[in-house]
Amino acid sequence: MKSGEMVRLHKVSKIYGIDEVQINALDNVDLSIHSNEYVSIMGPSGSGKTTLLDVITTMMKPTSGEVFIEGVPTTKMSNTELATFRGKKIGFIFQTFNLLPKLTAIENVITPMWINSVPREEREEKAKSLLEEVGLGDRMHNRPNQLSGGQKQRVAIARALAMDPNIIVADEPTGNLDSKSGLHVMEILRHLHEDERRTVIVVTHDESIGKQAERRIFIKDGKIVGSKGDGKKVSQLD
Amino acid sequence: MQIDFDILENSIRNLRRAGTRTLLTLIGVIIGIAAIVSLLSIGQGLNVAVEKQFENLGTNTIFVIPGASSMGYSPVKLTDNDISRIEAIRGVESAVPVYVSAAIMEYNGQKINVQVHSADGEKASIFENTGFLDVSEGRTLTKNDSSGIMIGDKIAKTYFDKEINIRKIVSINGEPFTVVGIMKPQAQSFGGGLDTGTAVFMSLEAFNKIASNIFPSVIFVKVDSGSDVSYAADEIKDMLDKKYGDDSIMVSSSEDLLDQVNVMLGLITLVVAGIGGISLIVGGIGIMNSMITAVLERTKEIGLMKALGAANQRILVMFILEAGFIGMIGGVIGMLLGYGLSLLISIIGTESGFALTAVINPEITLGALAFSMIIGIASGLLPAIRAANLDPVVALRYE
Repeated sequence: MKSGEMVRLHKVSKIYGIDEVQINALDNVDLSIHSNEYVSIMGPSGSGKTTLLDVITTMMKPTSGEVFIEGVPTTKMSNTELATFRGKKIGFIFQTFNLLPKLTAIENVITPMWINSVPREEREEKAKSLLEEVGLGDRMHNRPNQLSGGQKQRVAIARALAMDPNIIVADEPTGNLDSKSGLHVMEILRHLHEDERRTVIVVTHDESIGKQAERRIFIKDGKIVGSKGDGKKVSQLD
Repeated sequence: MQIDFDILENSIRNLRRAGTRTLLTLIGVIIGIAAIVSLLSIGQGLNVAVEKQFENLGTNTIFVIPGASSMGYSPVKLTDNDISRIEAIRGVESAVPVYVSAAIMEYNGQKINVQVHSADGEKASIFENTGFLDVSEGRTLTKNDSSGIMIGDKIAKTYFDKEINIRKIVSINGEPFTVVGIMKPQAQSFGGGLDTGTAVFMSLEAFNKIASNIFPSVIFVKVDSGSDVSYAADEIKDMLDKKYGDDSIMVSSSEDLLDQVNVMLGLITLVVAGIGGISLIVGGIGIMNSMITAVLERTKEIGLMKALGAANQRILVMFILEAGFIGMIGGVIGMLLGYGLSLLISIIGTESGFALTAVINPEITLGALAFSMIIGIASGLLPAIRAANLDPVVALRYE
């Protein structure tokens, strides 16, 4: 389903280091994630899963290969073009939340909107409705240090949705949360996939989190070593 | 170009967030700008004061001072014949020699060293209406006043334990004189070098009684209005150089002197303001230091902003704006403080007899503001470039 392809990696390699010591963080990776797919990327630490995520999110340019987002080749884009592109297409959720500590919840949600020049009058309405959506309508003017871990992550999810991106990328989203908050966050991710029909990519080493995705991609030593899920077995690569 | 209010707002918020650090950085800039502004303002005030004094003397006056330099002992003794020859030069209206001698003044049993000045009473009208020899009490000297003297206000009020009033008898080198006038407190004199506050003035006749073997210490030459002052000055110099040797006599018109004094004052102002400038550069280094700290502190935030869609240029502009704001705010406060300081100095100066005015002009004002903003932006440039060029992945995971 080429038309519905959201992310495509073509022979992507990423090599760290120069001279003698070189690490192939990604080794000739081909990957396709279609629109509205819920994918988890799994692997032990040092396997290259974070690098894969950085390449998918255009935060990092590969050493070789091509990265297409919604069919658009991104590897030739300038840093400025990439930033603007990324701001509109991809929503980030981090393990450590990355909220700005001096800003209130609503100000944190507004941040991507001012960065991406959303008209002033639209920002607050949008931020309010997003916070209400994640169940924080009564916490809008609290600072991060007045919120629990689960609440912080929900603010971060609201922030990730501020630009209404097609792709939501979550890097160990439950890693810093207790199991109850973790479940709540995973429930929101499922909702974003099922009800809002966004493409969700979760990076995790946690089997139980990974299992919730439609498709699990296993990575080891910079190579995709296998893929499981929903009966649609994807061909093994190398 | 559209103004990026979001970046502006964000920069201001970040400065407020940094609180104490911003304040300390500001103080550095404020001190630098205040120093420059107050020194320039006072320097210009000095210029104005000097020009005013020379205006009183008139621009058609030539000073003939024995010795190449106006300071120190001079071996050349100008004679009455020299004076006559100066007066014979075309355009010269009069030549008034002024004689000076150190003398001992005695009053109420107390003895003090004073400088006694004297000029030919017939010709001394050159000083009329110059503001140079005005009295605050009593009268000026009459022609050939052989027993009356004028004394400086400082001599009258502070030199002796007992204040000297009009009509008191004092003794100078053993000769009795009546005080007929007390000089007005004089604004500090520049260039002319004469402080009338500590001087005694008497007629030539009286002077002959207390000093022997007298010769002029300076000759004031007045040129007819309409005549060429510099021509007359050149002629006098030629004549005296032939007689006494090259450069043994200083001949300057009041305009020459004014120019020289202004050049000297300008130089002093420049040097002193330069020292102020150094403190502003130190302030700039403070800004740079503060911005480098801010970039380090906010590395993760910069990474996040890039993830959320911020282009490098916007990060650059954000940090440059922060540095520029420190420069601008510091500039405004420093300028106000500097003007306040120079006003205070001029008030204190005027109270204690120095004719100082603080000059406030648009050149200094705009110059100081522009300078502080430029310093701010220049200091912020390097940290801002560093912030803009941060690798988003590295920045985002920075701990």
